Amino acid sequence: MKQLLIWFFFLTFFAFGDQGGGPYVYTEWETFYVKDGLPNDHIFSIEADGDRLWVGTEGGLALYEKGQWKSWREKDGLPWKVISDIEVSSKTGDVWLALFGGGLARFSGGRFDCFNQFNSGLVNDVVYGVALLGDMVWAATTAGVSSYNTVTGEWEIYTEKNAPMEEIWCYNADAADGKVYIAVWGGGILEWDQKTRRWNAHRDPDREMEIDLYRDDGLIHIITTSASYIDGVLWASTYFGLSRYDGRHWRGYMDHDSGLASNFINLSLGRSGVSCYNATDLGLAVLVDFESDTWVTYKKDKPTDKTWTAHIGVGNNSFVSVPTKLTLPNHFVICLDFQGKDLWIGTGHGLARGIGKGYYPGLKNNKKFLKGSRGRFFQKESPGRRRQK
Amino acid sequence: MKRITIFLLAVFFAVGLPMTAQESTQKADEKKKADSYGRTPDRYVPFGKFTKPYKQFFLDPLEYHGYGRQIPEPEQVESVKIGFLGPIEPTVSVATGGLSHEESLGRKMLQGAKLAIEQANVRGGYRDRKIPYQLVVRNDNGLWGASGNEIIHLAYKDNVWAILGTIDGANSHIAIRVALKVEISMMNTGDTDPTFTETAIPWVFRVITDDRQMCYLLADFVFKKLKLTRVAALRANNRYGRMSIDEFRDAATRSGHPFLVELNYPVGDTDFTSQLQRIKSLNPEVVITYGNAAESALILKQMRAMGMNQWFIGSDRMVSPEFIKNAGENIGKVAAGYPYNPESGDPRYLEFKRLFKKRFGETPETYAAHAYDGMCMLIKAIEKGGLNRARIRDELAKMKHYDGVTGKKEFDPVFNNISPAALAVLENSRWVFYSQEEALK
Repeated sequence: MKQLLIWFFFLTFFAFGDQGGGPYVYTEWETFYVKDGLPNDHIFSIEADGDRLWVGTEGGLALYEKGQWKSWREKDGLPWKVISDIEVSSKTGDVWLALFGGGLARFSGGRFDCFNQFNSGLVNDVVYGVALLGDMVWAATTAGVSSYNTVTGEWEIYTEKNAPMEEIWCYNADAADGKVYIAVWGGGILEWDQKTRRWNAHRDPDREMEIDLYRDDGLIHIITTSASYIDGVLWASTYFGLSRYDGRHWRGYMDHDSGLASNFINLSLGRSGVSCYNATDLGLAVLVDFESDTWVTYKKDKPTDKTWTAHIGVGNNSFVSVPTKLTLPNHFVICLDFQGKDLWIGTGHGLARGIGKGYYPGLKNNKKFLKGSRGRFFQKESPGRRRQK
Repeated sequence: MKRITIFLLAVFFAVGLPMTAQESTQKADEKKKADSYGRTPDRYVPFGKFTKPYKQFFLDPLEYHGYGRQIPEPEQVESVKIGFLGPIEPTVSVATGGLSHEESLGRKMLQGAKLAIEQANVRGGYRDRKIPYQLVVRNDNGLWGASGNEIIHLAYKDNVWAILGTIDGANSHIAIRVALKVEISMMNTGDTDPTFTETAIPWVFRVITDDRQMCYLLADFVFKKLKLTRVAALRANNRYGRMSIDEFRDAATRSGHPFLVELNYPVGDTDFTSQLQRIKSLNPEVVITYGNAAESALILKQMRAMGMNQWFIGSDRMVSPEFIKNAGENIGKVAAGYPYNPESGDPRYLEFKRLFKKRFGETPETYAAHAYDGMCMLIKAIEKGGLNRARIRDELAKMKHYDGVTGKKEFDPVFNNISPAALAVLENSRWVFYSQEEALK
């Protein structure tokens, strides 16, 4: 039966190829290093802002615009060289920088303003994540969350004293649709509703560190590393796998039951409610289509390989391998972002852009393939599995 | 000939079969070890009586897959810097309950680390390059997660190659998250919080036996050896008290003897009357505490004054002269888990004690001895791996066993020391230490 499925997938993919039927695969890539204009090769954060791309590294800030790199280091006024996260305000154009050990910085009008735990309401200078919601700036720090109202200048601090934080070690922040999501290391995912000003906590129901009791009972693990909210769906990464929550049902993914290259996920970023890109320590794992559980996983098959390979499959069954032109020397992926149809990934040594020429979301709308994948793969992968509404 | 054959067959069955059975048991034990986490007895496995979990973590060795190994060793260094992070200066700390109280432990830890560094320099320093080792000391006893800022400083400004620290559970967790991103090894010698290594960080190592092992031993001592069932808890209202008692609480529940009550107190409190009155009304057979020596001693003293003569058990922090001094005359039945046997007659340990006393004029205790072991492991890893943070990590990860002054260490796949704990029992105003086997026989 398994061989039949493999052949079915194989024939389907090659029958339709780029014409559709399978998931989109990034095969064309560009790479960038210090020699190209980056201030450092250790990439911690990427933020696409229209046609511009901001890159935070272990040694400074960089901007890629119209094919040119510009960078800022401490000698240029950057408050601290290590940048762990970047957000750009769609309202003001201000660039907000989470500085890993240097506080929070606003880059605007060619000037850096620094907010730290001694001159502001920032709760700690080790800032892992920053998110923007309206006029509010949210900073996830190693000792709690701070929010800053850019209009009134007011700060608020959230710790275990006034929020349902079992621990205060905040790792990542995301904001959308009037909600802020904080990934708390040892505290699950916290959800802030801007309208009601209330926190809601999502935690691992089994409350044990060494196990995941049931696959879909809730968040996989309480040690979370990122949250991404899109289309009413929350994607949450941990060092133990990926979780998806649609407001009613949870779904868990680990390396033994999905296309995840590894359970060690540095960052997950939803491209839609049914597609999520995961930066793991063993490559980039993309859940292309939630319903059919179709994955594309990019990695170096062997350390000596010059280029990465994309593996296409359903669940953890890889059916087709596609060579790519991605030449980054190491597949420890730390961060990523989308720029239109393009995809950017940052690693411990180098930055790369996947060129999305002809990109299409999910699976190509080919009725024959969709019928096949839903009818066969769906049934085979997990009988009776819940369908997304 | 026939008789000889029968005789040989008899010998074979008499000798061979038991050996086969023994081998079979050994293999079963090995398999069990590979299948279980943290040397957890079957009776204490989470949900073990009901179902098998969908996934068990921490059974495979953690690996680092990043680029770090390819960074070349620097040609010019004046010293090989190793960071030390610990509570050494008195201050206030939100993370530790509002008042700093761990300086006395941190300073002992610093002494142990210093001795190891000094001995390495006497041996000639780093490899054949004769570069001296240098300890870069930073205090983590500050407000608002100061340990994170200090790790940043150590890694990016001091440029250390590895870090030893720290004691407080909250500070330790903050520090290792930073170490993970920075990609630098963190050797812990003083934090016994079981969750510390349950984080899947391939840069974290712990040489001290943790509260998981100490709680299992205490639970076996209470429920199996003493055959007592009614346990009440009174613990510190901080992260140490909350997290460290966790495995005992779970073991009690899984044994069918959940706590009668679990009460807490603010760190630094001196009057426990109201909590003890409530506990007394429940008529427990055992009172367990998790907190510092000072408060634990006062709890015991006030218990005895109220006519409560139950077993009083608790954490390794009780095992100190301060506890004995403050607990009063009527001590009664008292026991605590302990990470090693400080009365060991091992020649290496005795030599360490001699050298330590010569250097600092006092006898080493647990924080000093474990820091010495942890720093020796770091130096050994640097000597082998060279001046490359990832390769130093690799060498530490290779150490499945380590024979230190605090005993033989065995490390699990997440680099946590799972050597059995010792049981400290107060006898005639003196702590007497028993191995696991001795304590439970």
